Amino acid sequence: MSRQTNRALLRHVLLPTVFLTVALLGGVRVAADTRALLFVPPPLVTLILAAMLLVLFARGGALRVGSWLSADNGTAENVSHALTLGALFFASAQAFNSVLPDAGLPRLVLASFFLWTLWQNQFSAFDARRLLRSLAALFGTAFVVKHLLLASLTDPAGGWLRRLTAAALEGVALTGPAYAASTGYVSFFALALYVSGLALTPAAPPAPAADGSVSPGQLAPAPAAPQELAEPSEVETRARLDDGARKKTFRE
Amino acid sequence: MRQRLIQWVGIAWTLAYAALVVWLYAAAPQSIAEVKTQASVAAGTYEVDRARFDAGRDLFLREQYAAARGEWGRADPARRDARTQFYVAYAFYREGWGRVYNDDALFRQGLEAVNLALNLSSDAPLTVEDPELKMHTAAELKAELEQGLEHTAGDLNPLKVFRERK
Repeated sequence: MSRQTNRALLRHVLLPTVFLTVALLGGVRVAADTRALLFVPPPLVTLILAAMLLVLFARGGALRVGSWLSADNGTAENVSHALTLGALFFASAQAFNSVLPDAGLPRLVLASFFLWTLWQNQFSAFDARRLLRSLAALFGTAFVVKHLLLASLTDPAGGWLRRLTAAALEGVALTGPAYAASTGYVSFFALALYVSGLALTPAAPPAPAADGSVSPGQLAPAPAAPQELAEPSEVETRARLDDGARKKTFRE
Repeated sequence: MRQRLIQWVGIAWTLAYAALVVWLYAAAPQSIAEVKTQASVAAGTYEVDRARFDAGRDLFLREQYAAARGEWGRADPARRDARTQFYVAYAFYREGWGRVYNDDALFRQGLEAVNLALNLSSDAPLTVEDPELKMHTAAELKAELEQGLEHTAGDLNPLKVFRERK
C-alpha cells in the first residue's frame, strides 16, 4: 500500500475513529454500587473548554484550519475533514468531561483552573510543542485529582486521608457520585487515545501537486516562523543547490 | 480514484460511528445486555421471550404476582410489548385489590403499566383473549384501576365487601 493511501486512511478513517472513540468513552462511568454503565453527555463548560482548546490549536499552528477546509480541496475531502475536526472537538470536550469531577468544590476549582489556563494562553506567545506539554500537565493533574485523590475520598473503606480530609473540610461538598475503579481505567484509556490522536493529527493535510501526487504532510507541530512553514519547492531547492555549487567553484 | 473512495468510505464510516455514539448516549443502556436489547429495538427485531412470558403467566395464575412480574420483566426487558405490559398491570391490580381497601401504591404502578400498554398499542385497541382474565381490554383495566384509586363516600358502604375481584 502506498504512503499516499496510508495518509488518506489516517486522515479520513483512523483519526475520526480515534476521536469518536474518545467522545464515546470520555463520558462513560461505572456506578460503584450497581456496576451499571452511565453515559454522561458533555456539560456546557467542557464544550466551552473544547472550543477554546481548538482555537489554541489553530493559534499554535498545530492545526491549520485553512488547509483542512479549503476551496482547493475536493467536496468529499472537505466534508471528511469537517467531520474529523468535529470529532476532534467532541473528543476534546469528552476528554475534559472525563477528568473533571462530576460535582462539588473540586469540580468548580478544576473547571476554573482549566478555563483560566486556556484563557491566558489565548493571549500569550507560545508554540504547539509548549501547548501540548501544558495540556498534558493539565490533563494529568486533573486525572490524578479525580481518579486517585477524590476516588479515595469516596471509598467507604478509606484510610486516614479520608478521615483527615472529612474532618478538615467538614460541610464542604468534596465529592460527587461514587464510581467503580473501572471508571478510572476507562478514563485513562480515553485520554491515552486522545493524546495518540493528537500526535497523529497533521497540522495540515498534504497538498496535491500539479501531477496529482501528494507531497508529504507535516505531522509534527508547525514551527512559529511563517517563512519556515512552507517547504521549498523542487525548483527552489535546485536553485539553492546550484547557487551553493557556484559559490564553491568561485571560492576554489 | 482510490483517494476518492477512501474519502467517501471515511465519510460513511464517520457518520455511522457518530450516530452510534449519539444513540448510546440517548438510549443510555446500563449494561452490555441492555445495549443488545436496545439495539434490537432500534433495528426492529425485538421480540418478547415467549418461554419467560409463559412462565410468568403460570406464576400469575398461581397468584405469585411479584414473581410473575419479575419473569415478565425478563421476558420484555425493554418494556416494548403492549400485551406483556397489560399482564404486568393486571398483576398489580390483582395484588393490590382488597375486599375492604385497595393498595394505592400497587394500583398506581398498575396504572402506569396499563398507560404504557395503551401507548404501545396506539394503533388499535388492546384486547387480550385470555379465558383466565375477567377484563380483556386495557381500557377496562385502566378504568378499574382509576376507580380503585378514587376515594369517595361509597368507600364507606359496608356492602363493598361483597364485590368481586376481576
